[in-house]
Amino acid sequence: MTACHAENNIPTVGPAQAARGRAMHWLRVERYWEGEFPDVRLKFRPVMCQQCDAAPCEPVCPTYASHHTAEGLNAQVYNRCIGTRYCANACPYNVRFFDFFNPAWPKPLDMQLNPDVSVREVGVMEKCTFCVQRISAAQIDAKAEKRELKDGDVKTACAQACPAKALVFGDLNDPESEVARLSRSPRGSKLLEDLGTLPKVTYLARQGDA
Amino acid sequence: MSEGLPPTMTEDLLRPLLRTSWRFYLLVAFLGSIVAMGLGTWAYQMYRGFGMTGINNPVYWAFYITNFVFWIGISHAGTLISAILRLVNAGWRRPVTRCAEVITAFALMIGAMFPIIHLGRPWLFFWLMPYPNQRMIWPNFRSPLVWDFFAISTYLSGSLLFLFLPMIPDFALIRDRSTGLRRKIYGLLALGWRGTTKQWHRLESAMQIMAIAIIPVAVSVHTIVSFDFSMAPVPMWHSTMFGPYFVAGAIFSGIAGLIIAMATLRKFLHLEAYLHPVHFQNLGKLLLMMSLLWGYFVFAERLTTWYGNDVAEMNVFYVTQRGSFAPLYWTMVVVNFVIPVIVLSLKKTRTIAGCVIASCGVCVGMWLERFLIVVPSLSHKFLPYSWGHYRPRPVELLITVSTFAAMALLYVLFAKFVPIIAIWELKAGEHPSPALSPVAAHEHALGETHA
Amino acid sequence: MERRDFIKLTAVTGTTAALTACGNPEHQLIRFVPDDDIVPGIAEWKPSVCPLCRAGCGLTVRVLDADFETTRKGQAGVVAVKAAKKLEGQPAHPVNHGGLCVRGQAAIQLTYHPDRITTPLKRTGPRGSGEFAPIAWDAAIAELVSQLDRLTDRASLACIARPRRSRRLELVAEFLSRFGAPAPIGFETFDDEVLRRANSTMFGRDQLPTFDLARAELVVSFGADFLGTWNSPVSQNAGFGEMRGRRSRGKLVQIESRMSLSGGSADEWIPVNPGTEGVLALGLAHVVSSKSAKPAAALAEYTPAAVEKITGVRAARIERLGGELAERRPAVAMIGGPALAHTNGLFHALAVNTLNVALGAVQQPGGLFFTPELPSLRAGSGALTRPSAALKNLSAQALVLVDDVNPVFGSPRAWHVAEALAKIPFIVSFGSFIDDTSVNADLLLPDHSFLESWTDSLPESGSLELVANAAPPVMRPLHDTRSTPDVLIEVGGKLKTPVALPWKTYDEMLKASFDKLGANAWDGVEKQGGFWSAAPESRITLHESPRIPNPESQIPNFDGDASAYPLHFLPYASQAFNDGSVAHLPWLQELPDPLTSAMWCSWVEINPQTAAAKKIAEGDIVEISSTQGSIRLPAFVSPGIAPNIVAVPVGQGHGVFTQFASGRGANPIAILAPMAEAETGALAWAATRVKIERVGDANRSLILFAGEMRENPHENETR
Repeated sequence: MTACHAENNIPTVGPAQAARGRAMHWLRVERYWEGEFPDVRLKFRPVMCQQCDAAPCEPVCPTYASHHTAEGLNAQVYNRCIGTRYCANACPYNVRFFDFFNPAWPKPLDMQLNPDVSVREVGVMEKCTFCVQRISAAQIDAKAEKRELKDGDVKTACAQACPAKALVFGDLNDPESEVARLSRSPRGSKLLEDLGTLPKVTYLARQGDA
Repeated sequence: MSEGLPPTMTEDLLRPLLRTSWRFYLLVAFLGSIVAMGLGTWAYQMYRGFGMTGINNPVYWAFYITNFVFWIGISHAGTLISAILRLVNAGWRRPVTRCAEVITAFALMIGAMFPIIHLGRPWLFFWLMPYPNQRMIWPNFRSPLVWDFFAISTYLSGSLLFLFLPMIPDFALIRDRSTGLRRKIYGLLALGWRGTTKQWHRLESAMQIMAIAIIPVAVSVHTIVSFDFSMAPVPMWHSTMFGPYFVAGAIFSGIAGLIIAMATLRKFLHLEAYLHPVHFQNLGKLLLMMSLLWGYFVFAERLTTWYGNDVAEMNVFYVTQRGSFAPLYWTMVVVNFVIPVIVLSLKKTRTIAGCVIASCGVCVGMWLERFLIVVPSLSHKFLPYSWGHYRPRPVELLITVSTFAAMALLYVLFAKFVPIIAIWELKAGEHPSPALSPVAAHEHALGETHA
Repeated sequence: MERRDFIKLTAVTGTTAALTACGNPEHQLIRFVPDDDIVPGIAEWKPSVCPLCRAGCGLTVRVLDADFETTRKGQAGVVAVKAAKKLEGQPAHPVNHGGLCVRGQAAIQLTYHPDRITTPLKRTGPRGSGEFAPIAWDAAIAELVSQLDRLTDRASLACIARPRRSRRLELVAEFLSRFGAPAPIGFETFDDEVLRRANSTMFGRDQLPTFDLARAELVVSFGADFLGTWNSPVSQNAGFGEMRGRRSRGKLVQIESRMSLSGGSADEWIPVNPGTEGVLALGLAHVVSSKSAKPAAALAEYTPAAVEKITGVRAARIERLGGELAERRPAVAMIGGPALAHTNGLFHALAVNTLNVALGAVQQPGGLFFTPELPSLRAGSGALTRPSAALKNLSAQALVLVDDVNPVFGSPRAWHVAEALAKIPFIVSFGSFIDDTSVNADLLLPDHSFLESWTDSLPESGSLELVANAAPPVMRPLHDTRSTPDVLIEVGGKLKTPVALPWKTYDEMLKASFDKLGANAWDGVEKQGGFWSAAPESRITLHESPRIPNPESQIPNFDGDASAYPLHFLPYASQAFNDGSVAHLPWLQELPDPLTSAMWCSWVEINPQTAAAKKIAEGDIVEISSTQGSIRLPAFVSPGIAPNIVAVPVGQGHGVFTQFASGRGANPIAILAPMAEAETGALAWAATRVKIERVGDANRSLILFAGEMRENPHENETR
């Protein structure tokens, strides 16, 4: 989660705002308790923008700030956003966050900011972009080297940091990529699939092993 | 017919325009200061950032959207009532129409402010308008918010027209009775009205057309506002019933608002001779009918939800029925349904006072209804990890209060400059001219006190 | 215009407008910023080493040009610098394999922290007041030199440092040794000294173990939060990830009384009576051994029935699990965290080692290993002084050097470290921040942050290869700070009786030690931040038959009478702050705790039954009292903790620690009783008993990111 903050210039909102429910964790790890002591289990689930193919956040944005790109990502154009927050209401995954104030980084913490990602101003919505800046950078490199992108060229910040390599990122359109292979697994399911959002993230169920 | 209109009718109805007491100034000052405070609060919110509100993740809409829907709902009173009553030729409408149309116009204006107030970057609100721009895109016509823009602007322009047209003869009347600056201004507003038969024809035809046209516009407006909710996959928002439900609720709250406005005017402008208990009784009956209709919609929705037992919807259901929102929910049921049905069905209690009490309850109840549609659903969406709470903060409360003051202020100012009861309509009722319009089925004469 | 034309016109316009909404107009959308015009900055990637824990993960740092606003020589201006932007794990590093834990990711904020000490400081007000004034380096060094020269008894110089194996520490130790002072006091709140002793006893290796999880089929963890904070978490995560990703997915059994992060990922979670983990391990070893050709006689008394009585784990379960351990190979057991922090911690550690021997897991694939250490790199000539003893005698010292540790925060009040410091005539701190300990210093000589200086570490676990980490600075120092080892070298040279260290600078020392490893070893430092190679395995002296620990030590002692203090107290290393040393990093404060989702606060985890009995609801303020004192914090009602235990994360409760952590939350270590592990003297931090009382309604001090803990909160509602 911190890797995402570091990569994407996500503001730290502070204790008062966090208490008001405004912490901006583009990627969060949901945890749900099941059962009671001593037969208690914990379920973990990292949730980020699912980049849905039938995203409910897209048709409702009056200014096309939330729109679908040709590559299949749900893009958020901060400059077009006027902050109606309709997209956040429409998103069933609650992965959209609003900048309630202008972010401030006490100097020199601002030196850590990633120059490839814009810093958002007050009044706009933001969310996980699948590290689009890394995707673009890799595409530019590949173009310069006159080759195609191959699997593993792009890693999102979260997938790169995860010590257990639990997150895998790649091009679903490439049937040989690891992510395409894993998303075909019988353990795979999608979050809130029956809402018809066609999310792109596949969750592989923990195999039961009692 | 009847004993006729009081001979002092014109004087009575023009008195507010001609005589101003210190009470008026005090009232305007008081209301004006609250409105100024509201505007100042909004400026403060824009300056400090939208975080000054209580909005959070996941409750991204709360007070401001509630107010938006509420005021647009109130706006359904006027135009719908006066248009429908005009079309069915109910004579008792005559003293009521302008009161109602004014409510519509001002409630719409106030309601239309809220989509701007609730924006994160309100200084860019004009991007909702379709104009050739440097971004090289039109607004997203698939978005219900853009539909809102068109619907509300259409309704507003239509209502203003519907309001303005019948004011013309009255402006002419005032022009003819005044001198100096007042004569000049009202002369301009009267648009050269001479009271010729041809002009009367034109006026009546125009009113007929507007009355027919405005009804579908009004229905569509609140339907489109309801689409703001039903188009989103949020538990208990995504309901097919929202369109009719909202329209019914809007008319309901509109009538209540109208009753309150009329009762206030009757008292403070001494219009007892013109606004009779029978007017209130008729409106009261309409209010009763809408209350029953509202109750039917709510019952149908709740029963279907409960019977269907969908997990996400039931979470929202419980939190309103039994959980943290239960006190608000049951208050709403009582003031929207229980009290109005009791008070308004019994002839004994269907007095002016009774109607006003019921109406005040309905205003509160309908505001709560909008709030209870917006906030419980947003705070309990599909993933429980992301559930949240909402608490309004001072900026939202202050702005909400100031809109009520703004409504009152605008109304008071209007009543100061335009006769609140259409003088020519009353006269036309007294002396109907079949060439202009069919004789009303039941032309209510002033002086009759029965329904 | 004519009506007809008007209608036609509106119809056409209307249709066009409607049609644009059909199809996919986004194909016509011009991206606000065209792709080709954005050229991302070209970054350099430089190697470094994460200093936050003893795992020693290898980093690669993204460095870009940036502008730094600063004041140089009294003039404010902007300097163009190369700035570190992001830390990533080095893909080829044998410890972390490209991954990085959350604290490691946040470590970059150490360099850019707004409250860093930017120049040397001298105390101006009363001690502990936090009043300091800047002084120049020359004056500061002169001050330290004169203080050292003034010492009549050279043995009264003491240094408190982290007991992390590194050449840096060796340099400090060398300085002290040549000065005539005792060895540094190694202070680390969660130091698994007990486990090292057990490994030394049974395997001849005074070292923490490394586990080959990637090839294990069955892993049993006795209280070790190996996926969270224990030992070498990133390396263990990498192995665990592979274990789970395989076709024959391995199984994890976690045995603890409070569900940790690792417990959350376990297939089977077994609560056990506190302080009886070793007995359970021996019970399992008994079952395993009984199924083998030669059952060990020494284990005979640890029958499942007998073990059930002591541990609370049902005999049938012990039988079944023991059976699985016997069948499913390779299997390995690990122990850490609270299981070792009892008065009989060594017993438990030896018991688990015994189990591992019975499982045949020692130095076998899927089992327990030790990271190779070459003699020439063995850190420090003498062992570090044990903190519990040394800190009690601290007040006898005349001059204390504090090398970036916080014993005032990290030790129980019962050790009286703060009082001891008050009596010491002169205290010098080398850390970069003013914290509970360094606020008492007389002279602060701020070190560089790790990205601004040479840095090294010798991981004692987490790798099957030999690893010697060392990396050059990634960026120039932002502030007027100096590298502490270099400061010590300079100070040593300026003394009246100079301490002649054989190296002129710290990096010279590093080069000398790497040259010993091989001709090209030093190239590795510049290229990848260290030298690693599959060194030949050193032999482990394994005892033929399992060394059963002394049964008399199988029952632990607890502080606090059981009737007055009915609950066991468990301070645990939090995922965000570990031992609290990184509580001042805002990213970590805002990180939702993995099990409670709490941010920016402290809390106490209480079992629902226990909470209900005391009428405690979530968020209510609870007072926890031990025989040593009490703390107040909000309650979190958790199903993942036994009814007779309450747990508080370590990390908050600093009195002084920058704008982000000062005065926030409560420190559970403060109220621990000074219980010690019987054999090693280590702090037995799981041996305190407490009582709890509800003292207030929920105010807003419990800040949770999550709304709801259960997926179907109303599943038990009647309809």
